[in-house]
Amino acid sequence: MKITNLKNLKNEGTENLPSKERRCFLQLGLSITGVFLGGTILSLTSAHNATGALSGGKILTTKSPYSPHYTMVIREKHCIGCEKCMEACRSTNKVPDDGFRTTVLERSVPVAPDHRERVFMPILCNHCNNAPCVRVCPTRATYKDTVNGIVQMNTDKCIGCKTCMTACPYNARYFDEAIRAVDKCNFCYNSKLKESNGKTTACASACPANVRVFGDLTDPTSHAYKLIHTSGKVFWVLRPELDTLPNVFYVES
Amino acid sequence: MMTIEQNFDSKPSLLGTSELLFTGLTLLSIIGLSFGLHSLLVGHHHTFGTTREVPWGILITPYVFFACLSTGLCIISSLGQVFRIEIFQPIIPRTVFLSLATMATGLMCITLELENPWRVGLNALSSPHPASNIWWKTTIYSLFLIFMLFNFLALLVKNEKMARFFAIIAFITVTMGNLNMKSDMALLGERGFWNENYMPLYFLSLSTLCGCAAVILFTWAAKLLKGKPMNRAEELAIQSTGRLFMVLLLAIAYFTGIKVMGGFFPEFTKNPEAMYNLVQGNFFLNFWIGEVGLAVVLPLILIGVAGVQNRTTMAIASISCLVGSFVLFYDLVIVGQLIPHYYQYNVVDLPQYYPYSPSLHEIMITTGAIFFFLAAFIFGEIVLKKMKIKS
Repeated sequence: MKITNLKNLKNEGTENLPSKERRCFLQLGLSITGVFLGGTILSLTSAHNATGALSGGKILTTKSPYSPHYTMVIREKHCIGCEKCMEACRSTNKVPDDGFRTTVLERSVPVAPDHRERVFMPILCNHCNNAPCVRVCPTRATYKDTVNGIVQMNTDKCIGCKTCMTACPYNARYFDEAIRAVDKCNFCYNSKLKESNGKTTACASACPANVRVFGDLTDPTSHAYKLIHTSGKVFWVLRPELDTLPNVFYVES
Repeated sequence: MMTIEQNFDSKPSLLGTSELLFTGLTLLSIIGLSFGLHSLLVGHHHTFGTTREVPWGILITPYVFFACLSTGLCIISSLGQVFRIEIFQPIIPRTVFLSLATMATGLMCITLELENPWRVGLNALSSPHPASNIWWKTTIYSLFLIFMLFNFLALLVKNEKMARFFAIIAFITVTMGNLNMKSDMALLGERGFWNENYMPLYFLSLSTLCGCAAVILFTWAAKLLKGKPMNRAEELAIQSTGRLFMVLLLAIAYFTGIKVMGGFFPEFTKNPEAMYNLVQGNFFLNFWIGEVGLAVVLPLILIGVAGVQNRTTMAIASISCLVGSFVLFYDLVIVGQLIPHYYQYNVVDLPQYYPYSPSLHEIMITTGAIFFFLAAFIFGEIVLKKMKIKS
């Protein structure tokens, strides 16, 4: 039909619309709305707020949800890049040759115009309170220890989807072919911490410059506690913008 | 609802070749998928190109692609089945089967991508993690596969009421799965590539676009195989799908425009490094040829020039769109992962981008999966003909 012919037709009006057509139209609209609403609700149901005790660079002012609350403070300027921490970690935790639980990065930091300073930055699992790896694991193979706050692995449950490796913003995870599961730093929980009643980790004890200070955030006598609970002391966490609430802190000295 | 062919066409057709084609495609599929079994035996470390830094490789692409394609096909079938729009009813049986086959292909791909797939069934049930979107996605898509199977079986036994019931719950389920996909990927903290506000609508539009393309292409291919022309009702259904295809192409062109803006102007994106790499960096050929040229521009030109009545041109536009969309999903999975974890910390000797290229095993598995789907399509045509379902 031509458009010009349409103009000559009489307007039938909505009052003459058969009730069946109205019902069909309403049914269609409600169905589409229902589907989108249902889908949106489901896509949001799994979102939940993690109970974070620490935020990036903020001092703990509320009671810690863990006891002991294990932490590591890195005195960055002291690191000489000898990598003894890496060797100790590898031999203590049977880390495969192609993996690592901790490593030392070298940074070239601009400190003035045309002047850069070399700084070593040790990195390891941050045992985040709001850990992306814990959140994404479909089988709870990765979990946050409710007692001490360590992000642990139950390797028997790991399906090898590697979502946790993709999700970790700190590159702290690796796939161990020998056990056919993802593995990571657990503050030497199985190899040292469990037996020696929570004193230290392999990397911390191997460090000749005392860069790594392992301790308990709920113990005011702990060296780690004192390092970050001193008035005026500057400390920071890695990638605070992601709001992962790390438990590894960095201080200058 | 669907029409049942009372007088089955007994004219000589090329369907004899369908069985041969099915056998050939199945063999090719087995060859490809055997690389997956080999990888499971020796470990992905030895056969995949993935690394600690880039843990997700090309195999995630066919999973996401086929899952989205299945979603789109289910939406198209729902237009006739759930919403009872008459013009779409002649294409219901084939669309339902294709949706079933694509989801099965997608789930097979993700199974071969896992290091320990045998632990999935047990641990997903005995130790479920409802906070994990990956858990939801696997559960939702597995349920969808079951619902869609019952939907298809009900169509085969001509129980329309039952078919519609399963079509409704399958439709709701798969839409949830599709909307869940954004949350799933956006969680990957460092890999914020997916974390754009438009993603849920983008995924849904893209899925429906791929669904339209698949309906047009495989209806055309089915008629070519059978050696008989489309009837009038089918032609009208395909033309309507073609119009929807055109509208969705414009929608995807808009989203592609947002990507281009993000690639050139960092203030328009949450992931400037990844968007730069996509639009102007190492992936610019993928983007401009695959995502822009093949997925959007060429189909728009073809349909714009020839119209929705020209079936061969429509089929070419659909192939182009599906190939371009596959490249798009590949980029979506890989590009964000290539940005180094500590790129903002002035780390010495840190590469600008992490390297990744698919290994022979990964390519063979992906190819095997595509052949698997094509074999399933031929199998579906044989079943539909044997059961005398008009499609």
